[in-house]
Amino acid sequence: MKRRAFLRTAGAAGTAGLVAGCLGGGTDQDGEDSGSTAESTAGSTNTPGETTGTTVGSTAPAELVVGTYSSFVDAPSSSPGPWLKERYESEFDATLTWETPENGLNYFIERQLGNARIDADVYVGLDTNMLIRIDQKLSEPLFAPVEEGALSRREEVKSSLEFDPKGRAVPYDTGYICLVWNEAETTAPETFDGLLDPAHAGELIVQNPTSSATGQAFLLHTVAAKGEEGYLDYWRGLKENDVRVLGNWEDAYNAYSNGEAPMVVSYSTDQVYANRYDEPMAQHQIRFLNDQAYANPEGMARFATSDNVDLANGFMDFVLRPEVQAEIAVRNVQFPATTTAELPAEFAEYAHEPPEAVTFTYDELKGSLSEWTDAWARAFASK
Amino acid sequence: MNGPRGTLGRLGRRLGWERLALPAAAAVTGVVLLVVFYYPVATVFVESVVVRGEVTFDPIRSVLTSDFYLVDIIGFTAYQAFLSTVASVALGLPGAWVLARFEFPGRRTLRSVTILPFVLPSIMVAIGFVAMFGRRGTLNAALGLVGLGPVELLFTLEAVVVAHAFYNAPLVMRVVTAAWESVDARTVETARSLGASPTRAFRDVVAPQLLSAVAVGATLTFVFTFASFPIVLALGGFQLATVEVWIFKLVSDLEYAEAAALATVETAISLGLTYAYLRYEGRVSGQGEGANPLPRQSLVPDSLDVKTLAGRLSILAYGLVVVVVFVGPIASMLLASVSASQGFTLTHYQFLVERQATGASFQVKPLPAVRNSLVFGVATVLVALPMGVVVSLLSARSGWKGRVIDTVAMGPLAVSGIVVGLGLLRGLVFGVSVFGRELVVTGTVAIVAAHAVAAYPFVTRNVSPLLARLNPRLVESARSLGATRARALWDIELPLVAAGVVAGAAFAFAISIGEFDSTVILASGSGSYTMPVAVERYLGRRLGPATAMGSVLLVITAASFVVIDRFGGRWES
Repeated sequence: MKRRAFLRTAGAAGTAGLVAGCLGGGTDQDGEDSGSTAESTAGSTNTPGETTGTTVGSTAPAELVVGTYSSFVDAPSSSPGPWLKERYESEFDATLTWETPENGLNYFIERQLGNARIDADVYVGLDTNMLIRIDQKLSEPLFAPVEEGALSRREEVKSSLEFDPKGRAVPYDTGYICLVWNEAETTAPETFDGLLDPAHAGELIVQNPTSSATGQAFLLHTVAAKGEEGYLDYWRGLKENDVRVLGNWEDAYNAYSNGEAPMVVSYSTDQVYANRYDEPMAQHQIRFLNDQAYANPEGMARFATSDNVDLANGFMDFVLRPEVQAEIAVRNVQFPATTTAELPAEFAEYAHEPPEAVTFTYDELKGSLSEWTDAWARAFASK
Repeated sequence: MNGPRGTLGRLGRRLGWERLALPAAAAVTGVVLLVVFYYPVATVFVESVVVRGEVTFDPIRSVLTSDFYLVDIIGFTAYQAFLSTVASVALGLPGAWVLARFEFPGRRTLRSVTILPFVLPSIMVAIGFVAMFGRRGTLNAALGLVGLGPVELLFTLEAVVVAHAFYNAPLVMRVVTAAWESVDARTVETARSLGASPTRAFRDVVAPQLLSAVAVGATLTFVFTFASFPIVLALGGFQLATVEVWIFKLVSDLEYAEAAALATVETAISLGLTYAYLRYEGRVSGQGEGANPLPRQSLVPDSLDVKTLAGRLSILAYGLVVVVVFVGPIASMLLASVSASQGFTLTHYQFLVERQATGASFQVKPLPAVRNSLVFGVATVLVALPMGVVVSLLSARSGWKGRVIDTVAMGPLAVSGIVVGLGLLRGLVFGVSVFGRELVVTGTVAIVAAHAVAAYPFVTRNVSPLLARLNPRLVESARSLGATRARALWDIELPLVAAGVVAGAAFAFAISIGEFDSTVILASGSGSYTMPVAVERYLGRRLGPATAMGSVLLVITAASFVVIDRFGGRWES
């Protein structure tokens, strides 16, 4: 009778478990924070004509409200949220308040549709698919573009990860969606066609593309591999081969962990987690089908209604700092978005990058995403 | 008891509140229903007939003319709901028989906790089922010991049906047990003294009185499993998509018109069923007064003739099924909370303690979750009991009017939780303009009101059939002796239907503890989160913390049910 919330799955990566004790805020030892305060405040330049800077320096303490998906701040292990808040507040003269509505970004879209006020200044956890949903459903912009020169570190973001042609979303991390498999029970095929082999019948668990970011990424990867004309046939083959499509990343990964199937769609950073927990690597093998993986960058953006332009920009610049990028990557078990992140050595050892990253651009998806997903859903749910 | 009650009565008469008590309670019930149910639901349904400011039936027509919706979604949903109902009744009836007709140590406690499965968050049921029936689950381990198996049960329609039975058989059991316990022994004695065999007496006297309870259980089960959602996704997979799964998909995609249209069709089916059932309930008129329960047999028989032995063996066989279907998943879940890949561990509980001690203010902590759940649960019982009883009285009038009132009042059972949640969100939580003033309804009071609205139909459905069986002359004679309607209810009817009221209270508590949707929506970022919310938040790559929180929920809820039944029992006697 209870309904799981949609979009938590977007936080699948955020749920990635790291026990706080293992890390113990260890990156603090690096002492990377020296001098960065001045730099970041300098970065938040005023744009003429904007009503900015009113809260900073005024008598009322400044507050930055950041909306995000719940596992970004509340996963049992060490989700980045608490660390980010503490670190941010220790340097900036402002309070960071997390806002984590159950249905994530949809909450803010619904507020805008209902002409209700939006309190949040920044949203953390956008991807291309969400931007398309926003742009299709809302007539007024939900997010504002980042002004030219407003972020001192904007240029440090890898250009391959940019996913918003309108310049609103600033990527802060990325994941590669691929197969994770258990070599004690099977050998994952090397190609998409290999998954149709009867030898792999009932061996793969996938997330539901209509309710999960990883599931959607895998679906899009099949569209890329098999073409717009061929992907439904390919999925009919998968269905005949007894593929299991479960609700979200947690459902699927837990079923995989329980040994229900020897292959699951997950992230190419899976071994980072396995290594930290001393789990057998045999259960955390990575397979890039067709030597590819689907790249799904996550971004942050400032709400168009926010008056805290300076604070919001300051926060986004802060997130792009090398040491903050490293910490988010480690805690969220994702790749950093910038070229300057300073990652621990073990991360480099266990986080795998695909030979070729596949992704659809905003423009490619804009007219097709819901069509592809709906067609898939109808085909797959037909009895 | 007479002293204070008499004083209160005199006082009441002087103030006239007794006379006003029932109309006032009815008015409050109506207002609460309107604010936290009918208004929000209406705002959603309007979207199925008003698109871009124009009235249109296109969305509903497109649902009703689509083969995909009619056959693959609605047809399949009805099919699985039918199978689930059959399984739930088949599993629940023997349990009701054992609980109502046999005496054994711990019977009362067992009866109290039979409702437990009903409150478990679906994510926990899914975890428990995987741990029990999975490829590496407890069942396969047990089968392996005797050289059988392995069996693969998950991700099939069968798994979904068994999980639905896990949820709903206790409901059938609970409702039927309450009815069985209120069968008047004198009616059976009369039949026997007139020469009827025990079998004949059961068929002609007892069975008709149980039928309406079985029908209540079956109807509720069908309506619930028709609206099934998370269990289907977690244990079946998307190829078994039901109506509710599809509504959820559409809402997630912000396709409100289509979602509302599908929800309208779903609601029409559910309300239609409810109405049909109520027609039936109205026709079944009972005989007994419910004051003299049937004597129970001892579970350990004093003699061992063939018939008794067969009966006890069938109980044993049933007990085995119960162990596999009910005890297994729950025990497997408890076990998971103290296991890691290396063996026994308390680290998952240690996480709860640490989160409580050092968790940030914006994180969900265990103790506030426990406290909120209990406060909301108790408040829900206090609000839902009067609401449920008042609705029972109002709908007791004969004919279609009573049935329409009853059907409308049963709306909360029949309307998709996703639709209610969406309506609440966009109406009360975002703010409504009333006479030029902006009203925003969130927080504790709103959550309790929403829980009470979801819960009171259970009170009504437990009380109504028993109330209908009471001899109307009891109330008439009390009224002719000068008692107000409220006093007649309090002094005469309620004590006679106490079993139903207690069952209703347990359900109300259960609904409140397990409720998720409106809790997260109405809590709206405040500290009003509950235990199921905590379970959900603690899910991650490892199940441990979530299963530990789930075990806490389980233990606290089980203890609460024992208290409700004990407290109710004192009131009964």
